[in-house]
Amino acid sequence: MKKTLSLILVLTLCLTLFAGCGGSGKAESTAPAEDTQSAPAPDPSGGTLNIYTWAEMFDQDVLDGFEAETGIKINYTNFDYDETMLEKLEAAKGGDYDLVIADDYIIETVIAEGLAQKLDKSKIPNFGNINPVYQGQFYDPTDEYTVPYGAGVQTIAYDPAAVSVPVTGYADLWDESFRDSIAITANFRVMLGMALKVLGYSYNTNDLAQIDEAAELFYKLADNIRLIKDDNVQDDLISGEVSAAVMYTSQVTMAKLNKPELEVVYPKEGIGFGIMGMFVPSQAPNADAAHLFIDYILRPEISAKSFEYLGYYCTTKAADDLISEEFKDFLVLPAEFKAEDMEMIGNISPEAAAREEEIWIEFRNRCGQ
Amino acid sequence: MKRKLSGGNAAFLAPMYLFTVVFLIGPFVYMLVLSFLTRAETWGVVNSFTLRNYRRILEPLYFNTFVESVKLAVLVTALVAALGYPFGYYMAKLPPKRRGTMLMLVMIPFYTSSLMRLYGWIIVLRANGLLDKLLMALHITSAPLKILYTYPAVAVGMVYALLPFMMLSVYSSVEKMDWALVEAARDMGATPARAFLTVTLPLTMPGLMTGVILTFVPSMGLFFVADILGGNKIVLVGSLIQEQLMKVHDQPFAAALSVIMMLMMTVMIWLYRRVTGSGEMEGVI
Repeated sequence: MKKTLSLILVLTLCLTLFAGCGGSGKAESTAPAEDTQSAPAPDPSGGTLNIYTWAEMFDQDVLDGFEAETGIKINYTNFDYDETMLEKLEAAKGGDYDLVIADDYIIETVIAEGLAQKLDKSKIPNFGNINPVYQGQFYDPTDEYTVPYGAGVQTIAYDPAAVSVPVTGYADLWDESFRDSIAITANFRVMLGMALKVLGYSYNTNDLAQIDEAAELFYKLADNIRLIKDDNVQDDLISGEVSAAVMYTSQVTMAKLNKPELEVVYPKEGIGFGIMGMFVPSQAPNADAAHLFIDYILRPEISAKSFEYLGYYCTTKAADDLISEEFKDFLVLPAEFKAEDMEMIGNISPEAAAREEEIWIEFRNRCGQ
Repeated sequence: MKRKLSGGNAAFLAPMYLFTVVFLIGPFVYMLVLSFLTRAETWGVVNSFTLRNYRRILEPLYFNTFVESVKLAVLVTALVAALGYPFGYYMAKLPPKRRGTMLMLVMIPFYTSSLMRLYGWIIVLRANGLLDKLLMALHITSAPLKILYTYPAVAVGMVYALLPFMMLSVYSSVEKMDWALVEAARDMGATPARAFLTVTLPLTMPGLMTGVILTFVPSMGLFFVADILGGNKIVLVGSLIQEQLMKVHDQPFAAALSVIMMLMMTVMIWLYRRVTGSGEMEGVI
């Protein structure tokens, strides 16, 4: 009897111990469910718009407004990773979904595989509202397939009370006074990219000699790194666990809203940025509804509301003036900002990617020592 | 002795075999095959046989990850044994009523998600957190210790997560020990320490070793503890596998890493059988 009891106890233990594994990637995400509805059934009446993107990309009011105005019902399905989206879309041969929002680099693959359709711009009168800075990029050079929906840059945010040196760019993070007090995100392309940028190279270099040179510099940063994480890295900046952080726009937004005294720096070496794009899959059951929705989102007032909710850079130029003062600092590019200071992070050769992955593991080992 | 399955027995056993084949043997064979395939240029896997994935594990970068993981697992297991053995021992010697209460107290926290409990540790360990406040109030330290996101924080988190396994297996071993043997040793003039070393310890060895297995094996793979409390700075084999799957999308390499890790576990369990001379795990199977 007692043995049975202890057996049950141990089994329960095992269960709770491993219960953590599955969710650790997106532990803090409040996503209600992942991929709950796979392959939504196409609605023959033409009254449904199937949107497939990450959780919490839109203010509910914005979605409700579209439904009330057009009578089209929105069926929102979400994914955690771009790669999951690509897999689903490949399986559906470009069908099932009417509108997808994903990251730039994966859209390049989607278009190359013929899974996206060209937009009919006659159905998108508001197309001209887009900020041209975010157009003509590598994943869609002629803007035939995509409309940008938010952009993120990696900026440095720091607590001026805890930092003794002036910070103007990535190079300052190597300063000894930052010992054990910097947080970075876990994207190795972006992080090794800092070292590449300090050396004056491109984020997207395929030159292994340049990558190795950057690696040597990057390893010297290890002593200053306190924390590497993707989710909620701003929490540690707000709580004072770290004095500076290199992070994404949405995280900077959260940090500034909670701790307004934080300083945000556009690194003088230049900024890498990522764009999220909306596209219509090649076999979308209701492409017309998708076009209607894109046009709706591009309205200045709807864009402003959406980007304030999303916390990413406003990609709709016409909405810039409508962003409220509270958010303006970090959702609208500063006037002195030059487009040539930005470089998008695109796909690199498999050899270069493999080398960067290994550098990243070695870097983390050195951080932990 | 030869046993013959009657029709009724076979019907009862069939679901178990089916379960084993579908959920254990099937995935394992799939993983084994995958580990010998080549990663496609952009996405997925190509059907061409290669040993590259296994050769790659021998590269210093990945090999050291294995070495570091084993080192951490040994440290964690030693700490868990040092804390868990005395606890399990005294718990077994309590009067039966208190024993039940004690068992419940050990178990209750573990009905909460392990992630939640790890976030609890962040609150304790972070700069100016509970631990810092306590130490500074007692004038033991004058400035915040930076414990969170360090190696010790990871060790603490793992010890905390795995301690009950040791407590319970030692407990179950001590509980059914024949105390007359210890009394006999004492009667013959053995000191308490000697009686413990020559009688109690060997008799409870199966429990201790079960605890060691139950601690060592998971601590190689509890990457989320290293991620959350170690700030992603300590790379374990578990984190490596997770990253290869989720971020790098090199499924064959992830499979090869998993196969090697499973081989290591198998060796551990084989050693366990050799040491204890028994085929079953105390209190567990």
